[in-house]
Amino acid sequence: MSSSVRHKVMKHLEIVKQLQPSLHYETHAPAPDQIDNEHYRAYTRMSHDVGGEPDVPITWEEKEEEVWEHNTFVTCEVLAWRGVWNAEERRRRQNVDVGQTQYLGLPYYGRWLLTAARILVDKQYITVTELSDKIDEVRKRYE
Amino acid sequence: MSKPHYDREHHVKKATGIGDPQCFKGEAGPPKFKVGDKVRVRDLPDIFYSRTQVYTRGAEATVAELVYESPAPEDEAWDNTENVVWFYSLIFKQKDLWPDYPDAFANDTLETELPERWLEPL
Amino acid sequence: MAEKHKPAPMVEEVSEFEVLEIAVRELAIEKGLFTAEDHQRWTEYMHTLGPLPAARLVAKAWLDPEFKKLAVEDGVKASLEVGIDWVNSMPTHFGTPSDYCNLRVLEDTPKLKHVVVCTLCSCYPRPILGQSPEWYRTPNYRRRLVRWPRQVLAEFGLQLPDDVEVRVEDSNQKSRFIVLPVRPEGTEGWSEDQLAEIVTRDCLIGVATPKPGKTANDPRPVRPAVNPYHH
Repeated sequence: MSSSVRHKVMKHLEIVKQLQPSLHYETHAPAPDQIDNEHYRAYTRMSHDVGGEPDVPITWEEKEEEVWEHNTFVTCEVLAWRGVWNAEERRRRQNVDVGQTQYLGLPYYGRWLLTAARILVDKQYITVTELSDKIDEVRKRYE
Repeated sequence: MSKPHYDREHHVKKATGIGDPQCFKGEAGPPKFKVGDKVRVRDLPDIFYSRTQVYTRGAEATVAELVYESPAPEDEAWDNTENVVWFYSLIFKQKDLWPDYPDAFANDTLETELPERWLEPL
Repeated sequence: MAEKHKPAPMVEEVSEFEVLEIAVRELAIEKGLFTAEDHQRWTEYMHTLGPLPAARLVAKAWLDPEFKKLAVEDGVKASLEVGIDWVNSMPTHFGTPSDYCNLRVLEDTPKLKHVVVCTLCSCYPRPILGQSPEWYRTPNYRRRLVRWPRQVLAEFGLQLPDDVEVRVEDSNQKSRFIVLPVRPEGTEGWSEDQLAEIVTRDCLIGVATPKPGKTANDPRPVRPAVNPYHH
């Protein structure tokens, strides 16, 4: 294992220790008597349902589109055109199934992209081994 | 165990040249509500998926339009399209949604669309 | 508090998103789920999109009361007159998967102002309006517009009198929406082309109102892409 990989591992651990579930308590994975129905509802909330949550004003921005963002959108639409999924399956997966942390932490099209990869695996069009090998192969093209 | 079979053609066969939600027209049966009816949004369990926003639950609204027939999003999100229901456009008074909404803007409203199953008569 | 805007990654380092995008697209093609030509056709379809057809629909409605009536009653039918067939304009011939085929045109009056949001994702009438702006997709806009519409509109530069009813349209199912604003004063005798020029994307979402001489959205910061896609 190269030292640059070990450096990445240590950096990763520094970042993930900052990730938190939506409500922070000292002990995670509570015992059943430590969680009431209100907290069950909070933890099982649909991460896309944000209407009415208080927030502060921000600067409204326009944005240039990345090549991968454009291609991701097109891939998702074409997968639906060819019947691999429908738009509601896509929304459910990319806006709710991903969970609160990825929902708020990743870029908008980052969720689309992970979900497009996931549908191919979940519906058994590809195996995770194939996906992993392909990612590794594509990475090597850029080394 | 064999791999599950997905009929990737079922939607394209149904909707080509017609469109969606037009392809579900006539499948929902008689609508339960009509334009002008007062309804309340039910507080149903939203386990795994829904497009009925939490902020509408338990609130009163007026039916503004019967917009189309379609499977409910809770079903369509797993590609279940057999159970087609009416969708209603509803108008809420903002004061009924947000207790802190300013009295000065008591006329302000919000419109959104919900499937029939989420509504009960008032 | 984490810094809000992290520096863009160095250009020479390929991002995980770029790698995964290529991997997914290539695997889908290798497995025969779609073809490279399908992907190319959809890209070409995307190149045809923008806010102009929706702006022309509004201009036509301002000039022709019969057409306005049609637009409000049947947005999909009215779209045909500005060259948009919600069912057949795209490669599928069943509409776009994500936008469906149920355009609703929201008519403003001097006492009623519509503004559109999708609190659950970012539903937007792409076939007639093009891709949504970044701000429209932010959780911040989606959180706040439904509850504090007048504050958010004020941030967009739109101050509305107390006696104007603000109606927020939370676009959450298969309908897609454009706003048909009130025709502004000072446009008497204008042609359809002249009128369409002042109906900006922001007017069609409802965060701005048309004004003579104003032919562009308000200037806002533009977040640059590391590897921009050129439309």
